[in-house]
Amino acid sequence: MDDIKKLHLKFKFELANAKTINSINKLHISYLGRNGYINKVLKKIKSVDKQKKKSFGKDINTLKNHISEQIKKNKHDFVQKTDIQEFVDVTLPGKTYPKGSLHPTTIAIEEITKIFENIGFKRVSYPEVEWEYFAFESLNMPKGHPARDEFETAFIDFPENIQYGKMLLTPHTSSGQNREMKRINKPPIRMINIAKTYRPNLDAIHTPMFHQFEGLVIDKDINITHLKGTIEYFAKEFFGENRKIRLRPFNFRFTEPSFEIDVSCGICNGKGIVNGKKCKVCKSGWLEIGGCGMVHPYVLKMGGIDPEKYSGWAFGFGPERCFMMKDEIKTTDLRMFYDSDIRFLEQF
Amino acid sequence: MNIKITHNWLLEYLDTDASPYEIQKYLSLCGPSIERIEKKGNDYVYDIEITSNKIDTASVFGIAQEACAILPQFGKKAKLKFNPLTKYTFKKIDNNQNKQNKKLTIQIKNNNLCSRFTAIVLSDISLKSSSELIKKRLELCDIKSINNIVDISNYLMISLGQPTHIFDYDKITNKEMIMRESKKQEKVITLDGNEIILPGGDIVIKDKSGKIIDLCGIMGGLNSSITSKTKNIVFFVQTYNKVKIRKTSMITGQRTIAATYFEKGLDEERVESTLAYGVELLKKYANAQISSKLYDIYPKKHSLKTVSISTKYIEKSIGVKINKSKIITILSNLGFSVKAEKNSDTELLITIPSYRKYDVEIKQDIIEEVARIYGYHNIPSNLQPAAYVVQDKEMQAFFNIQNKTKYLLKHIGLHEVINYSMISKTQIENLGLKVDRHLKLSNSLSEDIEYLRITLIQSLITNIKQNEGKRDILRFFEIAKTYIKKKNDLPDEKYMLSIAVNTSFSDLKGILETLLYELNILNYKINPIVFDMFSKNISAQLLIKNDCVGYLGKLKSEYKDKNKVNSEIYIAELDFSSLVNSFNIISRFYPISPYAVIKLDLNVELSKNKTYAQIINKAYKSLNYIQNIKLIDLFKNKATFRFYFSSNKRNITEEEAKKQLKNLT
Repeated sequence: MDDIKKLHLKFKFELANAKTINSINKLHISYLGRNGYINKVLKKIKSVDKQKKKSFGKDINTLKNHISEQIKKNKHDFVQKTDIQEFVDVTLPGKTYPKGSLHPTTIAIEEITKIFENIGFKRVSYPEVEWEYFAFESLNMPKGHPARDEFETAFIDFPENIQYGKMLLTPHTSSGQNREMKRINKPPIRMINIAKTYRPNLDAIHTPMFHQFEGLVIDKDINITHLKGTIEYFAKEFFGENRKIRLRPFNFRFTEPSFEIDVSCGICNGKGIVNGKKCKVCKSGWLEIGGCGMVHPYVLKMGGIDPEKYSGWAFGFGPERCFMMKDEIKTTDLRMFYDSDIRFLEQF
Repeated sequence: MNIKITHNWLLEYLDTDASPYEIQKYLSLCGPSIERIEKKGNDYVYDIEITSNKIDTASVFGIAQEACAILPQFGKKAKLKFNPLTKYTFKKIDNNQNKQNKKLTIQIKNNNLCSRFTAIVLSDISLKSSSELIKKRLELCDIKSINNIVDISNYLMISLGQPTHIFDYDKITNKEMIMRESKKQEKVITLDGNEIILPGGDIVIKDKSGKIIDLCGIMGGLNSSITSKTKNIVFFVQTYNKVKIRKTSMITGQRTIAATYFEKGLDEERVESTLAYGVELLKKYANAQISSKLYDIYPKKHSLKTVSISTKYIEKSIGVKINKSKIITILSNLGFSVKAEKNSDTELLITIPSYRKYDVEIKQDIIEEVARIYGYHNIPSNLQPAAYVVQDKEMQAFFNIQNKTKYLLKHIGLHEVINYSMISKTQIENLGLKVDRHLKLSNSLSEDIEYLRITLIQSLITNIKQNEGKRDILRFFEIAKTYIKKKNDLPDEKYMLSIAVNTSFSDLKGILETLLYELNILNYKINPIVFDMFSKNISAQLLIKNDCVGYLGKLKSEYKDKNKVNSEIYIAELDFSSLVNSFNIISRFYPISPYAVIKLDLNVELSKNKTYAQIINKAYKSLNYIQNIKLIDLFKNKATFRFYFSSNKRNITEEEAKKQLKNLT
């Protein structure tokens, strides 16, 4: 038998035994590669008779093409076959990875922080256990003001400070205003203060601890249009482009003028009516989000800032309330936030 | 506070072409917020929120005044039909002295109780049910109709915003009224039949017999109340010390409508019109006859105050141009009198009406009045110019790393909780801590939230306990402040990160290690240590650069039992600020070695004298070429270690590696 025939038989045998794509690929290298069998046989052409040389060359070329085709074909069949035979039930659930959750208040705080940082506000943090001076006096709330009594503020059983009065749990983040003014010393101020706040109340919309976020801007020539513009920017970023805001007159000691801010209701689209019935969520199409106003000149003075030179605005909202006012959130009971029920928490 | 008034009642004072819904919309934008409106029969009921500084608007007349200033801004007609403050005066009361045969002896013991005291005796009243008009209006406003006398008192309050009281004249012993502060524990039975034990310092009126006939500003006494037999009455209109009224009302829980008015501070000037209007109504609807002189004790008469401001300042503060005549119209409609000063065409001198004296004192108050009536909806929205403000770098780092930590823990399957900062005495004791290390609230709502936390652990134990049975696996974390008591100063507010799981110590430790890895904190050690809260042999401390930053372990059985928890709880608590300080933004980088790594496995049976830590330490100390050691399998105490050998200078052989490993065994 000549070399070509031998090689052909050998190939037939080996191909029949090649059961994996890897072994087929190996065949390709061992027969058709640079140092493969075909080339080895071809080298023998030098010793072949002159008149047989032509037919030898032709035969080996035919074998080469044959091997190449066979490998190609087998590879193709093999790939096809593998793909057809392989089965994984893709409707099965995937591997389970742990899924934790962040507290909804955290989610709200993070979003709020980003929104304000985008327009140059700096987040700060001030004491939660405070002196009366920072919570009230410095905010134009003198002794005898109703907010200072024990029905509105949680006090700590601690000796009074001669300079600063009683120790308490901050009823609002505004206690940070005076501290921020003193930290910065000289305006501009662009503050966002988010913290825990406390009041002795408990019902569906009040918990003894809750959060507030407070914005404070102080600079030269700050006017009401800046307050309105910033709140509108926040409302659109946080609640969505289609939500509207309105400012209503209100009363706070530490701002003058003072406003209450409403955001149009996402449930009834600000109409106050859902399917012909009064909307249960809002008051005539509007939801209160919180209070704000132009910083009272007395508050500036207490912070060491000249009210003749500088003016400012401030607001205080509740992140929990803002979170509940988003379209997609249906809970209206604030207590859920602090009951730590896993069935509530794991949803966020 | 909220009040209800009706549309038809409003029209008694107000001439307008605005519909009730227009009134709701426009007043809410510029004045008192009309939260709801309801059609009832041929009338509409407004439910109005009154802010505490504008108690003058908590009346039909007050709303009519606001409407007069606001509605014209929206192109609506609005005029007062008459002004009760000028229509009803003492001069209008018939003062025929021949009929004034009844007397009152009035004594006020303390001059800070009552800023104006007026009273008049009326006789021969006929007690019956009210006219349909009064009855219906009151009922629409959620006030129960009792009889014509009581109803008139309530009708006056809603009309003008000044509560009044009516006594049965014949029940006052010796016709003496002595106003003074109550003593602690004194008792009074009020009109509604409730006995109230007074906290002391409350404003009360006694008669000659010594019995309390009125808990002033809150509710009258039952012993002097109107009954079907009443013939003669004392009609009584006062303004009281607002702080005292609020205190009494809050402490005794008597949140009457009258109290919510008086505690805001009422206008002494309006007492006059209320009394005069009241006398007219009593005459008309109860055939009452004046039978005493008019008593009016008003020691400190009101004097008008002024504020001056320039239009330029108003425009600068609001941020829009508003012309001078518009400003003057707005203020005049609200009852201010405005004088443009002679020498300057931009300076305004504004006189404040008596009913706004507590609330309008400075320039900013005037700006508010102008801005709100001009309309906040007409003010454009702008962002203030950007400004660079220095932020405390530590604060910034803290917020960043807190966020990183929270997300990591969430992603590896933990649930974040936020608990109250306050816990109970029982919770403190159930973890073997001393109560006196904690700050205590002096007016806590309940025993459950009386002490400020010095650790988050109790709260997390409670979280696990309350969720047992709801899910099999519970893994919680919290980052929050603790409050470490200091002498004579605010507490140290220290952030802690606490983790509690009901799975295993290994789970807990794995969570911590993953976190430390994420924060690129590599120079840490977790060593066994005895810690009171934890089981003796499942207790460790976390050291970073040899400083202890926290503890981890299994909750002691004793505390588990005290807290009535079923599952084992594994707890870690770390000083979060230390983590923040140790955080590295970039992890350490090693060049990739071009040389081969030889991996060899070794099975070891672990025991007390052959712990994981001992094996690892020995390996690193005594073996050459050792690059890394991993625990790849653990069954009971049988551990499989994988050792990674490599040289940073050349390729080593498997034989060399095997030789090294032999040194260990």
